[in-house]
Amino acid sequence: MTIERRALVGAMALGLCIAVAGLLVWGFAAPYHQRLFFTFLVNLIAVVGLQVFMGNSDITHFGHVGFMGISAYVTAILATPVAVKRSALATAPFGVNTFELTPLVAVVVAILITLAVAFLVGLMMVRQAGVAATIATLAFLVIVHVVVMNWVDLTRGPRAFYGIPPKATIGWAVATAFGAIVLARAFRDSKWGLQLRASSEDVAAASAVGVPIRKLRFAAWMLSALIMAVAGALFTLFVGTISPKSFYFDLTFLTIAMLILGGMHSVTGAVVGCVIVTVGVETMRFLESGPAVAGMKLPEMFGLTGFFLGLVIVLSMAFRPSGLLGADEIDDIWHRRRLRKAGVEVS
Amino acid sequence: MEYLLQQSMNALSLGGEYALLALGLAIVFSVMGLVNFAHGDMITFGGYTMFLVAAGLGIANPALLLPVGVLSVVLFAMFLEKVAFKPVRGAPPTTGMLTAFGVSILIQNVALIFVGTRAKSVPTMDFLISNVTIGSVRIPIVQIFETAVTFIAIALLVVFLRRTTIGMAMRAAAKDVSTVRLMGVRADRVIATAFAISGFLAGLATVFVLARRGAVDPFMGFTPVLKAFVAAVIGGFGSLPGAVIGGLVLGVAEVMMQVVLPESMAGFRDAFIFTAVGVLLLVRPQGILGERPDFGEKS
Repeated sequence: MTIERRALVGAMALGLCIAVAGLLVWGFAAPYHQRLFFTFLVNLIAVVGLQVFMGNSDITHFGHVGFMGISAYVTAILATPVAVKRSALATAPFGVNTFELTPLVAVVVAILITLAVAFLVGLMMVRQAGVAATIATLAFLVIVHVVVMNWVDLTRGPRAFYGIPPKATIGWAVATAFGAIVLARAFRDSKWGLQLRASSEDVAAASAVGVPIRKLRFAAWMLSALIMAVAGALFTLFVGTISPKSFYFDLTFLTIAMLILGGMHSVTGAVVGCVIVTVGVETMRFLESGPAVAGMKLPEMFGLTGFFLGLVIVLSMAFRPSGLLGADEIDDIWHRRRLRKAGVEVS
Repeated sequence: MEYLLQQSMNALSLGGEYALLALGLAIVFSVMGLVNFAHGDMITFGGYTMFLVAAGLGIANPALLLPVGVLSVVLFAMFLEKVAFKPVRGAPPTTGMLTAFGVSILIQNVALIFVGTRAKSVPTMDFLISNVTIGSVRIPIVQIFETAVTFIAIALLVVFLRRTTIGMAMRAAAKDVSTVRLMGVRADRVIATAFAISGFLAGLATVFVLARRGAVDPFMGFTPVLKAFVAAVIGGFGSLPGAVIGGLVLGVAEVMMQVVLPESMAGFRDAFIFTAVGVLLLVRPQGILGERPDFGEKS
């Protein structure tokens, strides 16, 4: 996969921003803010992973969080110490409560299992037209949720899965986010990414010049699932306690709103949307709890966060359907500015 | 034999509910290409209206309550069209779909903020859940009602689409909107009618959803409409007969699963059904009556 130098520089620049922010947080922030930043990074990785499929194929994907959930639960089941599992998963099948893997091995296994599932779902996905494909992704999310909720022996069902070794650090998360951004840019700006984007604009024309649409869509699907799997595993190994609710609609809405606000056709947009929505959501969480502002006690308003996310999506669609950045990446913006300075007319 | 009759009644009524919802989705989709993710929230709206009318105004007479509920959903559907979906008319399908998705989140959370998460019961639906005994078979009234209403609604819809001018315009708009407009039919009217019909069907479904659950909560519309979406995909998305067939197929499949699955596996029902639908789509990507997705390839 060859990647243009300019795209690589853009991706690196984005990654460096994250790395610098990570260093600052790691060095100076209070534990609460460190947790917040870690969650932000997990969301960022997820949004970038979502962008890989949604941004290139132009098919709305509601099932991405399902991949996170699979990976998170497999990691949790494999990496949790036997001592905990003996009581928490007393009736576990496959003897999973008789052994434990080191977190790294557990993550690798979790990614492989997630990819295997993605492979099977992908076979069906690439044969669908847009709308049916989207509904299929939604149905996939529900399937994952139903299985996790009901396979109580393996997952503890609706109850929290606790005791997972919290081995992930901010450093790992920053490195993963960096890697995800570079990977997403590399795919987007590769020959395949370009072909896939072309096919989403005009199927017939792309097909006529020999674009293997299904294969490329499948590739984007698998790459997206890979990034989601890493995000899920990372999340699990940081928080140490997960439940099926962690990987359902709340996270789906959040990540979709982030991607849409920033612009789903751009990796830079994914990052920008993630930052803005994170700030917005934290503000809403604060307001939701009914704080006293300037001596006035505000009422508790449960649901404000969700309302904000809905509003972000609706307003984006009404006023700027292609998101804040449209299809521009950070290096496109730089490039245009340089051209303009040099006196070249650019649109 | 009695068991079989009971279960097939079960399947028919459940399938009817899905068919009503799937038809509403398909009508809107065929006329303006919108995948209406907010369809489920119309049910929620209708549910809350009936709750408010029953609890707030104390009107418990179902002959009054039910029409008010259905009418409120029709008006709400037309309101949504004017406020939320008009700006994205003619936009790419993704834009419309995501708008509807956002609208759905908005409505759910407005309900959360103003009425809270707790489910509120709507007591006046009692007469619907009583049973009638035919011979030695006991069948809940709601199932008979539901099946009958579904078939009458579908029959009326067929007559409407075939015999009235606006109905014919809608069928034509499903094929080619610009030509319909060139013939002097106003797009506004066609789309508003589509939403009104979709709301009417959703309103009918609301009554039955409510009768089954007996309570309203902000997320009550999600599951029925997800099933309706799946039904529409089974039948072939955008096809009206497909929506009806898909709904019935899904209803039958669900009831069969319920019968076949052992108690301990009952929770997995939806996972099994959706997986089965996935396999069906692998073999037949276009659904039962849909058009084959075009990838520009030689077939």
